[in-house]
Amino acid sequence: MTAELDPHSVRVTLAPSAATAGLDPIVVDPDSGRAADLRRIDAEHAVLLDRTPARPVGILLLPGEPAGTGRGVTRREVIVEGWRIELDVESAARAALRDRARRGRSGAGPSGPVEVRAIIPGVVLTVSVVSGDSVTAGQQLVVVEAMKMQNELNAARDGTIERVAVAPGQTIEVGDLLLVLT
Amino acid sequence: MATSRSDRRPSSSLRKDGTARPPFKRVLIANRGEIAVRLIRACRELDMEAVAVFSDADASAAHVRLADHAVRLGPATPAESYLRMDRIIDAALEAGCEAVHPGYGFLAERASFARAVEDAGLAFVGPTATSIDALGDKLHARRLARDVGVESVPGTLDPAPVERPDQVATIVGEAERIGFPLLVKAAAGGGGRGMRRVTTALELPAALASGSREAASAFGDGSVYLEREIRPARHVEVQLLGDASGRVVTLGERDCSLQRRHQKLVEEAPAPGLTTAQRCCVHELAVRLGTAAGLRNAATAEFLLTTDGTFYFLEVNTRLQVEHGVTELVSGVDIVREQFLLAAGRNLSPSALVAAERAAEPAGHAIEVRISAEDPAREFAPAPGRIRRWSMPSGPGVRVDTAVGAGDRVPPDYDNLIAKVMVHAGNRELAIDRLRRALDEVEVAGIQTTLPFHRFVARDATFRAAELSTGWVAEHWDGAASFRRAAAMAQRAAGLAAIGAGRDRALPGAQAGWATKAGPAEVGGAGRDGHWGRAGLDEAVDRWPR
Repeated sequence: MTAELDPHSVRVTLAPSAATAGLDPIVVDPDSGRAADLRRIDAEHAVLLDRTPARPVGILLLPGEPAGTGRGVTRREVIVEGWRIELDVESAARAALRDRARRGRSGAGPSGPVEVRAIIPGVVLTVSVVSGDSVTAGQQLVVVEAMKMQNELNAARDGTIERVAVAPGQTIEVGDLLLVLT
Repeated sequence: MATSRSDRRPSSSLRKDGTARPPFKRVLIANRGEIAVRLIRACRELDMEAVAVFSDADASAAHVRLADHAVRLGPATPAESYLRMDRIIDAALEAGCEAVHPGYGFLAERASFARAVEDAGLAFVGPTATSIDALGDKLHARRLARDVGVESVPGTLDPAPVERPDQVATIVGEAERIGFPLLVKAAAGGGGRGMRRVTTALELPAALASGSREAASAFGDGSVYLEREIRPARHVEVQLLGDASGRVVTLGERDCSLQRRHQKLVEEAPAPGLTTAQRCCVHELAVRLGTAAGLRNAATAEFLLTTDGTFYFLEVNTRLQVEHGVTELVSGVDIVREQFLLAAGRNLSPSALVAAERAAEPAGHAIEVRISAEDPAREFAPAPGRIRRWSMPSGPGVRVDTAVGAGDRVPPDYDNLIAKVMVHAGNRELAIDRLRRALDEVEVAGIQTTLPFHRFVARDATFRAAELSTGWVAEHWDGAASFRRAAAMAQRAAGLAAIGAGRDRALPGAQAGWATKAGPAEVGGAGRDGHWGRAGLDEAVDRWPR
């Protein structure tokens, strides 16, 4: 499989912050004839020809932070019509190799433990559950205050609280583990 | 009471036209962000000195840099900084200020703060503590409206019992009389804080408790009441100014129907589609309320406009509004300047009186969009962070009020509004064209903002047709779909750039800016971090033109 790929092809994957878009990685091949769709203006600015409908779209292309997320993987920050999208770009051949190595390993299924992580930074106001509690879908778990708003975090499904990782008053950042639901 | 201290003014500060001296020599600005900058600008134009206050999160913020003098209040947490009445008043006295302008938010609508400022012998730039008591508390305002024959949104007039099991039956009975769905609202509140939507009697006790808790933490007052939810409705508000002679006038109305979580996203002046008779009607209701409350200085009366043309009084904001700028653009009156003059005991200026006479027949149209650090694909969740690129629009008919720039951090501790982009044109059609153009010039990176939503609004046919309602955002905006389309374009653009596409069509002279004439050594070299062509894709680097 990897042998069929153009060695100069790249694979572009949405970074975790953009994963909510739910898009699969794409492979861009230098020989696909699509290269004319992008016009570079300067180091950061480009115009992409959108196809449906056909129209030019201004693009801001920036190095991402962190600059490298792993061997051969480069983080990018791309601004399209006001949206900020973080991406990882890597050699398609290398990505395919890694995929093959990973195949066979099995991850946790959808019924396994779910790590509930912070999607906004802020301060934990209340924690409504303790380890061992049974919860039902929609039940309030944690209230986080951010930018003067109280944001209630509710259980996505029925389950048991395996672990609570935060306490009221604690400052949290995006991605911090709040609790584990099994 | 606002007191005039113009007798202290040295004669050297007489204005050239000789008509008016600066209302104060030195003013303390008890706020941060874009509004603090807006207020300092007015001070400059009035030839007054501005004293800023700041928290540790804002030590190098724009309002600190622009002020003549700045005083640290404390840590980032608002309760330890911008909400510290004692420290702010001490700072004002120590710095020799004569007046305090609270801006909006923080202490702006706390009667106790206005009173403390007045007790310290300083002028409070806003309505008197008595007016704030009469109008700022929504329950007081609803009772005042009843007394002067202004119809409020149906609901209760007294605080609801909270966490009182013995009174559950009473409040449920009240709720059933008002009708579901209804809203639990904070008497002291604003900005949707403490507000809960209730669809059945079963949800009511929990909504009262959590609404009251949020209100207590946000405003220091947990009183809540019930109000019928009116849908569909437009949000129309009237800008009021009052002076010490007892005269209350309006500079016209605004439509602020486009909201999320009961917080405004887009505001325009005048409210589109109203007849002159409707304008006169809502202006008169507002002036009646302002007069009854003895309004001095600036306030805004908010109404809901139903589809059958009825105006229901909602609340009065006894402060400068975020969206005051659109009224300034249409009326030609500098509301903040007017506030300072009024606070010094002067009467309404001739230009404000002329504008008030024309308020029901406005010329021109202005629209404001609030650029906030929020993710419009995830229900406008807060998205603080560091700004990497920041470029705001300019050109004919564009005004931008902001206090941030590239490299600045948007702290999670405060309101997430970071810029107000306003446009002004001869009519609404032209203003929308101008808004679309202006928003296309905006460039922000590093944080997600509400910009994609505003670009959508500027292109939407129903917005252009002025089919506005407070439910508009939920009915028209699909942020997730918009984000998905943009993400797909970003993937293609990043992929094409990585394989080296597009450079041959780059403008002459611009190529050197990104394409590497040297090999990978220079590509990865210091100082070139800002360049897309750098780092990572060794494979692609090999293929770049030398």
